[in-house]
Amino acid sequence: MSETLPFNRVLIANRGEIALRIQRACRQLGLETVAVYSEADADSRHVHEADVALCIGPAAAARSYLDPAGLLLAARLTGAQAIHPGYGFLSENADFADAVEDAGLTFIGPTGASIRMMGDKITAKRAMREAGVPCVPGSDGPLPADMDAVKAIALEVGFPVIVKASGGGGGRGMRVVERVEDLARAVTLTAKEAEQAFGNPTLYLERFMQKPRHIEIQVLCDTHGTALWLGARDCSLQRRHQKVLEEASAPGIAPETIAEIGERCAEACRRIGYRGAGTFEFLYEDGVFAFIEMNTRVQVEHPITEETTGIDIVAEQLRIAQGAKLGIVQADIGLRGHAIECRLNAEDPFTFMPSPGTITRWDLPGGPGIRVDTHVVAGYTVQPYYDSLIGKIISYGATREQAIARMRVALAEMKVEGVSTNIALHQDLLADPAFARGGVDIHYLERWLAKRTAS
Amino acid sequence: MSNRSEPLVPHFDRLPEPEQIGQMATWLAQAGLESLELCNEAAGLKLRIRVERAAPAATCPHAPPAAQSDVTAGWVAVKTPYFGHLCLTHPQRESAFAPVGAKVAQGDTVALLTLDRMQLPVPAPVAGTVVEVTGQAGALVGYGTVIMQIQPD
Repeated sequence: MSETLPFNRVLIANRGEIALRIQRACRQLGLETVAVYSEADADSRHVHEADVALCIGPAAAARSYLDPAGLLLAARLTGAQAIHPGYGFLSENADFADAVEDAGLTFIGPTGASIRMMGDKITAKRAMREAGVPCVPGSDGPLPADMDAVKAIALEVGFPVIVKASGGGGGRGMRVVERVEDLARAVTLTAKEAEQAFGNPTLYLERFMQKPRHIEIQVLCDTHGTALWLGARDCSLQRRHQKVLEEASAPGIAPETIAEIGERCAEACRRIGYRGAGTFEFLYEDGVFAFIEMNTRVQVEHPITEETTGIDIVAEQLRIAQGAKLGIVQADIGLRGHAIECRLNAEDPFTFMPSPGTITRWDLPGGPGIRVDTHVVAGYTVQPYYDSLIGKIISYGATREQAIARMRVALAEMKVEGVSTNIALHQDLLADPAFARGGVDIHYLERWLAKRTAS
Repeated sequence: MSNRSEPLVPHFDRLPEPEQIGQMATWLAQAGLESLELCNEAAGLKLRIRVERAAPAATCPHAPPAAQSDVTAGWVAVKTPYFGHLCLTHPQRESAFAPVGAKVAQGDTVALLTLDRMQLPVPAPVAGTVVEVTGQAGALVGYGTVIMQIQPD
């Protein structure tokens, strides 16, 4: 046999909008799709559109989307030769990635070894430092057991410092210390929490940046030595470490600065033999970038990069997993215009409590520069078992002002009834003068919400 | 701004009464869970409840979704406890496990699910008579698929 591709049927190990997004990319490439779903998701769009659909368990994610053995069995029974994990669930589980490949299937993502290296914040930071990616000043490794040695490190780094669990992430397992006399207690407590939460008491320490922005670089790497960076995203508008609104490019940061950091990220990928899509997350303050972590998967906010580069990131993930060479070089990537993504959640716009229920009205916006990624249709029931993301509105414009104007109209057109949504929150944010200027820090939204509640 | 009016985990400052522990065990079994552990280090309290995985269908780790009664006929649906290829006859025999008209006891194997080299039994949720078989032999069925109906005794 000649020209046999490693797979022509892909199992999508996810749900919601990203399952549909992956399915679209598969179908455009002529690949068959297998939808595996929990009982709660039986009526999902991607389930109806799939070549093969199989209910693999009850609503509880532990017995459906988070069940590695069940997913592998489902792949075998449905004849899928590749698994796309999407984001969340098992997407950054190194053991799952290894198990998929051990079963003779293709994992559409990086190797288990890459995921494992990036999952441990200490090894990730060391690898990045060696590759020339700037990191925030810190302990450069696990904290020693001797508290005097820890104090010496902290004084050298400079207060305030943040003590973090090596196995943590997403805002868990960390503590800010303002003064040297509070350090010993903070280290002891954080180690204990880390042991309980992650089974690993290893800690490290970094200087605590006071008002940074969250800037991230998208990369795309094939298995033939090509690693590309696709520009930056600004995801500073966060609530409880959850991103709410993202934009590309990052307002007010010179393209040359992004190019320099982007090239270092690409070089780091070449050095560690990274494959597929990934994101380097940085804190950025006073012109300084500090690497925080790498996400070894496609991200929720990938569409804004697709809009500004014209590259279909999910299709490229599939092509890379097929063993194809990237058809473009860095010089081909032009960063044009500006894109904004508003994440639509079924939640109360004031209390942020999830708002599950049946959607009775679902009018989508349209027009030039508007894209909506969603799995929802009128009559769809938002389940209480999973996250509350019901869709993403992405606006594109030649300028940031045009992207904002288009988003404003899109949010006004978007009509949802039956559940509460955060559309009003996005409208208020777009009308905010500081947002309009651009470049707010990662604490801005929390402060803004606190002020709104007080008034 | 408060996100929740009540804490997710209730206060655990003294051991519950035996009846309360019994109630919790029942809830665990109904939820298909095996064990629950509560711990309050400050108060020096630790409670672990384990539920037997044996006999009743409700405590089986792959418990099928709660059997639903057909209101009009009073039939009880047999649902698959996992996914796999449906096998209505015993691999070593010619006859079906539970053809229409068969009398079954609760927990009797009425079909098998074949997964790779494994086979999982599909138990009867109630004792009664098989009145309808809707599952197609050899078909790939998902979790919770209705394969037959039983008229309870």
